[in-house]
Amino acid sequence: MTEIIRVFKAGIYKDNPVFRQILGICSSLAVTNLLTNSLVMGVGLMFVTAFSSFTVSLLRSYTPKHIRMMVQTLIISAYVIMLDLFLKAYMPDMSKALGPYVGLIITNCIIMGRAEAFAQKNKPFISFFDGLIMGLGYTLVLLFIAFFRELLGFGTLFGVTVLGSGWVNWTLMIMPPGAFFMLGIVIWATYKLFPHEDDAGKAGAKA
Amino acid sequence: MAKKKKILYPVLFMIGLTALYTFILASINQGSLEIIKQQEALAEQKSILYVFGIDAPDSNDATTDLYTSKIETVETKTQSYYIYKTSDGIKGYAFPFSGKGLWGSISGHIALSTDFKTVLGLNFTSHSETPGLGGRIDEDWFKDQFRNLDVSASPYVVFRPSDSGNVDAITGATLTSKSVSTILNDFMADIDTFAQKEGLYD
Repeated sequence: MTEIIRVFKAGIYKDNPVFRQILGICSSLAVTNLLTNSLVMGVGLMFVTAFSSFTVSLLRSYTPKHIRMMVQTLIISAYVIMLDLFLKAYMPDMSKALGPYVGLIITNCIIMGRAEAFAQKNKPFISFFDGLIMGLGYTLVLLFIAFFRELLGFGTLFGVTVLGSGWVNWTLMIMPPGAFFMLGIVIWATYKLFPHEDDAGKAGAKA
Repeated sequence: MAKKKKILYPVLFMIGLTALYTFILASINQGSLEIIKQQEALAEQKSILYVFGIDAPDSNDATTDLYTSKIETVETKTQSYYIYKTSDGIKGYAFPFSGKGLWGSISGHIALSTDFKTVLGLNFTSHSETPGLGGRIDEDWFKDQFRNLDVSASPYVVFRPSDSGNVDAITGATLTSKSVSTILNDFMADIDTFAQKEGLYD
């Protein structure tokens, strides 16, 4: 149980993949102009990370160490293709909106990172949970960024107009630079909010 | 680990795992192939109904029924097109078009009246323009400008405030707007020749 809580805390803030490990940045910049896109992307990543961590962990004692990367890539891409097919078949509009980014989940560093750092050394169940929570941590950051980008850039939330017709859209927010500004602010704010144990020591020494 | 230095085991392991995953993926692909095809066909049908100005019903089956009852598809060697037929004869023709946008290709459907002098409607089925800027070609206000647009003389689509302007461009998306007008003007010129050759004029 303590293990589960530890993994949960790590994924959500202590070791959050986006603002702490600075992983998965490319997709957090690309799909966060709309909340719906971010949500589907996040859920997709949770699915892929959880199942690939589970599979990698399941096979960890049979996998020869020197070909493990090859095995991980194979496992990850298989789950991504499953997700892509699922979106195409049941959510065609979403599949169109996310375009190439679904396929690019394969290259999302979070999945490989978790497979290497966690699933390789832990039991399948907890690895599955770790993947799920890391994906959730990623999703939350994405939604947070998308909330501001969509609200300021389109005046809408999940496609529903909330700011009325008098609102002038901040075009900058939906352009790629808007994502850089938002992500920078998020990383800075979370750095202040959840100080790292090592950094806290340093900061104390300076003061 | 004794296995580490062996060559045969890693190779067999990789082959086995690849075969397993290929098998799983192939089955899923086979299973979803039909649904994906249906979804794609449905999206196309909706787009064609839209350009003819026919309201598509909410249910998917009803859309397909309506489509088959009103629209006839004609395939020629160079160009496929769709005919909208009612009890009083042919109402118009729809053509798929595609061309170069700012970031990638833009494709869609355009419907023209039987004398090829009026646009009945325009729709974009795929594009990769900047969301919020060029991506706004997808919005109704932009597409609605083309409903019943007079295109009797070339250049067919000209943006305001030019003297002969007939359509508003999108602010902040000059290049996308330009691409759209170029694609449409080139395409309609082609269609004019095509229609004469096929004898589609009344």
